[in-house]
Amino acid sequence: MDRILIIEDDPETAAAVRAEAEALGCATDHRDTLAAGIEAATGDSYKVIVLDRMLPGGDGVDAMARIRAGGSTALILILSALGRAANRVEGLERGADDYLPKPFEPEELRARLRALLRRGTIQVLDNDLLAFGDLEIRLKARTVHVRRAHVPTSPKEFELLTFFARNAGQVVTRMQLLENVWNLHFDPGTNVVDVHVGRLRRKLEEAGATAIQTARGEGYIFAPLPASA
Amino acid sequence: MALAVAILSLSAMVLQYRLVESRLMSAQQDLLAADLNGLAALYDQRRIIALRQAIDYRATAATGEEMLLLLDRNGATLAGTRPEWPANLAPAGEGFTSENPTTFTEGGTRWLAVARTLPGGFPLLVARSLQPVDDTLAALRRGMFALLGALLVAGALVGWLAARSVMTRINRINTLADRVAEGQLDARLPGIRTADEFGLLETHVHAMLDRIENLNRATHRLSDTIAHELRTPLNRMLQKLSRIEGQDDLTADLKSEMRQAIRMFDSLLDISRAEADAGTGGGLVPVDLSAVATEVWDLYDPLAEDKGLLTKAQITPDLHILGDRNLIAQVLSNLLDNAIKYCAPGDRLTLDLAPDADRILMRVADTGPGLPDDLKPEAFDRFTRAERDRSTPGHGLGLALVRAIAARHGARLTLPPTTRGFTLEIRWPRLQQSD
Repeated sequence: MDRILIIEDDPETAAAVRAEAEALGCATDHRDTLAAGIEAATGDSYKVIVLDRMLPGGDGVDAMARIRAGGSTALILILSALGRAANRVEGLERGADDYLPKPFEPEELRARLRALLRRGTIQVLDNDLLAFGDLEIRLKARTVHVRRAHVPTSPKEFELLTFFARNAGQVVTRMQLLENVWNLHFDPGTNVVDVHVGRLRRKLEEAGATAIQTARGEGYIFAPLPASA
Repeated sequence: MALAVAILSLSAMVLQYRLVESRLMSAQQDLLAADLNGLAALYDQRRIIALRQAIDYRATAATGEEMLLLLDRNGATLAGTRPEWPANLAPAGEGFTSENPTTFTEGGTRWLAVARTLPGGFPLLVARSLQPVDDTLAALRRGMFALLGALLVAGALVGWLAARSVMTRINRINTLADRVAEGQLDARLPGIRTADEFGLLETHVHAMLDRIENLNRATHRLSDTIAHELRTPLNRMLQKLSRIEGQDDLTADLKSEMRQAIRMFDSLLDISRAEADAGTGGGLVPVDLSAVATEVWDLYDPLAEDKGLLTKAQITPDLHILGDRNLIAQVLSNLLDNAIKYCAPGDRLTLDLAPDADRILMRVADTGPGLPDDLKPEAFDRFTRAERDRSTPGHGLGLALVRAIAARHGARLTLPPTTRGFTLEIRWPRLQQSD
């Protein structure tokens, strides 16, 4: 069972994180000060650490180096009220694996936790071919084929599809797409992403692959149907 | 300054010169008067004979400093230090009075002379050489001119040294001001401060900078605190909202309202942070502006097309600036989002990015409703919205953020006049490619 460490001083938030982590089938530990958190993180092995920033004892971002230096290989998700683009970029640049601003929606946290939990296991996917039934993605050639017919995609559409494929079967939120595919760390307000997903989805459907579905209120799921469908 | 001192001392010297000159002249006159008195005393005793003897005696002991000549009534020389009467001098008056002596020049020497006719028609000339006086005055003049020259040189030198010292110290403060203007709020003058007005000025400037720096730091800290204090309760609300079941539409609305509020206050914090950081180069790195523009354009282009806008982007590749990629993306995102929001199907939306003199010109133009004229002066202020747009979602912070971010990058923002729609130009300072 994967273990998740929550370092968070707000009990309400900690409870929400714990609920999501347990829904994903993980065991959780909770610490509410930075010092206790670092001690737990370096003394035990966790898959993911959910780290707050403005904690009693200091800033979680500053503690990341100490956690890493203590031998932890956990993936770090920063969950912080410092949620402006500049804060997020700072956190990511200083070594966080993901950064979710507060207030967060439970679905968003779940999607990100899931992505992090998977990240440790899907390294095998880094070979050239990603195949989902009729849908084949060749990473090096950057081509997409559905039923052996080439589907022309723009570079961004290809990156979008690759990100979906890497998180196949999981809910992917719009924010995750903006961050990972467009590398933009602010909320543009309008759902610009929807148009892009819509276009990619139409292309795939025209070629005969219904791969992308909308997860209402949450985001999208890439769930290609089996080959014979 | 040096000139004034020189003029002052020059007039003092002229005064002294005149004084010396008149003293020397009166001394010569006194000598002349004494000579005449002596001759007069002899004449009183034995008339012409005595005069002749005395003049002869004096002539043998001639010093060259006096001139004596006595003629008879036919103009023949009776006695004298010289054989002839000077050509340019005529006897004037009678007796031995020393009043109204005349001066005449002979052989390059000036003489102070008294020429008289003695009773019986004997012309008498008594003169004293003014050579010693002239020599003394000439020496005095030479001394004065040398002194004046020395004074001018010394004055100029002292003035230059004083000015140089003042300029050096003013330059120190100017350099500091330049560094601060460039954004180095922590720049200070090194070294000890002197106990004069300059030291006081430096102390004041430092106190001022400390205060500015503190305010700036407080702004940064405040935005973090606001974020924490506001987002934490919002977060709890959102978590509780998620537990409500069966009223999906209502909770979705509430969530969306909360997102709007967060976005608004993020924008406000972004604006104040960008304003606080304006001019500071800190945190800015070389950014491929062309690449960012292309990415953001590609993000919004499909949205605009779906809305029926005619879009066109002309982006010159490989234009680099010193910037913050996310902030630049935010600027473009705001501008394109605005354009798409306000334009109607059939309107045109264009983005141009091209070199412009020493800058890079970014122009976002649309043929939508544009800005009402009365709104233009305050278009970039916070919460400025046109009456007609009240029904469109938004807070009037987009352009304020655009301006703050532009200022953060030292970019110039202009609203060129257009016949139709809205056009905004940003001139980014180009990255110096030398390094």
